Amino acid sequence: MLGVGGILFLLFLVVLSILPERLTGLEPVRQDTHLVLAPLGTPGHLLGCDFLGRDNLSRLISGSVVSLLIGVSVGIFSTVLGAFWGLLSGYVGGVFDSVLMRLLEVWYALPELLIATILMLVLGHGILSVVVALSIGGWMGVARVVRAETLKIREQSYLEAARSLGATPLRLLLKHFVPNLIPVLFVLLLFRIPGGILGESTLSFLGLGLSPPASSWGTLVNEGWKALPLTPWILAFPALMIILALLAFQWAGEESGLR
Amino acid sequence: MKRILRRLLASILLIWAVFTLTFFLSRMAPGSPFQGERKLPPEIMRTLLSYYHLDRPLSVQYWEVLKKTASGDWGSSFKSPGVSVSEVIGRALPVSMVLGGTAFLESLCLALGLGLWMARAREPVANALRMVSSIWVALPSFLLAALLIEVFSIKLGLFPPALWTGWSSVVLPSLAMAIAPAGYLARIFATSLSETFRSPFFLAARGRGISRWRLLAGHGVLPSLNAVVSILGPLSASFLTGSFVVESLFAIPGIGRVFVLSVMNRDYPLIMGTTLVYTAFLVGMTLVGDAIGEWIDPRVRAL
Repeated sequence: MLGVGGILFLLFLVVLSILPERLTGLEPVRQDTHLVLAPLGTPGHLLGCDFLGRDNLSRLISGSVVSLLIGVSVGIFSTVLGAFWGLLSGYVGGVFDSVLMRLLEVWYALPELLIATILMLVLGHGILSVVVALSIGGWMGVARVVRAETLKIREQSYLEAARSLGATPLRLLLKHFVPNLIPVLFVLLLFRIPGGILGESTLSFLGLGLSPPASSWGTLVNEGWKALPLTPWILAFPALMIILALLAFQWAGEESGLR
Repeated sequence: MKRILRRLLASILLIWAVFTLTFFLSRMAPGSPFQGERKLPPEIMRTLLSYYHLDRPLSVQYWEVLKKTASGDWGSSFKSPGVSVSEVIGRALPVSMVLGGTAFLESLCLALGLGLWMARAREPVANALRMVSSIWVALPSFLLAALLIEVFSIKLGLFPPALWTGWSSVVLPSLAMAIAPAGYLARIFATSLSETFRSPFFLAARGRGISRWRLLAGHGVLPSLNAVVSILGPLSASFLTGSFVVESLFAIPGIGRVFVLSVMNRDYPLIMGTTLVYTAFLVGMTLVGDAIGEWIDPRVRAL
């Protein structure tokens, strides 16, 4: 039940990002000084306008696209990075494995946001930098799980069969390890994407992520926060989107079996 | 003993690694800490750079800073010259510790209560509780903080919306920090409790007919606490991240706010100082967590 609801909401988000921003017929960056902080239900501006007279609904839609894009990219990058590390560590084994695992422990001890914040110093404030910073900050959990799975696969008899038939290491990796890791990777991805969304919104909210003209759920919440006593709905809508998106991924992830 | 030594060595290595990474990352960053709104004349810029030894080769700087840091001299802030990093941290740390400590106790109480309830609830209620806890976990701390301020400080006027003025200003920020980890903790605690309730030693204790209280506290909660203690490290990491957000939101002069501001200002010595304090804290909490875990459950010691 919940899983279906989650998947439906995710589909809604995908449709939202495919549809052109012309959905509202308004540009998210156009300012109209007569409409500063216009209330909900203003004709033509269903969700009112922000402190610069920009249409809240079209900003919310374009912000959703950016946040989802960042979330999905962080999910994919960090899963791939973690999978690569974990697979290599588990497959090669021995001293190499323990060196990689010690390095992982060092990295894992630090919170994702701390790493990402320090990386943002070097990377600047674009979408790509947020993606890179959060991916490098949060791949360690994936690597641990993938390593454990790889070790399990190594013990399977089909692998021994393939090896005794003289399969090359590359063939073993591509034909036996990777296909058997895919289900696990999919679930890990579903848990990493909301992590990326939350990371982006927290960074941008603190003013360490995307910089002002760009809109994302994080920057919208930041702006809404500043106008909180006057117009709480500017904060409420992006906030609701973040919570619903996080829940949708969580429920969809639980639905897809593993936890 | 040997294991403790090994863990200590690993911790020191971790702190060193974090130091090195932060050092090189912050020096690689484009722009300099002295680039502001107005451009400084080149002579002054050069003097500033040479005063802080920023014009020397990176490797020389690294050794210099490493030696100084190890001997306890963490330099002075770039943004407010003459104020030493240890002074800034010394002022901010107690604030963060009061806030974080309160939040930690609150989340522990919430988690124990909720977890116990979840583990003992029957089906319709148990399902509802699971649902509530999943929403609970998905609530980002900055949204929670906004909600708390809107309700308790703007609408009801019970607590101050910001600043650090006394005990009444601890309430809202500590709750904002405590609630999300509490939801996560409650789930773990509930799972571990329901395992304990099914285990032979618990059933045997119940069969002996000891009092309800002793049964629940001694044979139910205490053995299940191990799951909670074992995540003390990751848990303190989440408090730490919470402190960036919550302290910035409530304008509380703690370490989290100092860190965020120092990153915005590219104040290298302050970034290094706060990051080191954070790492030491995380390492310390993980060690403490392991030690408590062994104390509660001697089986762990044998591993």
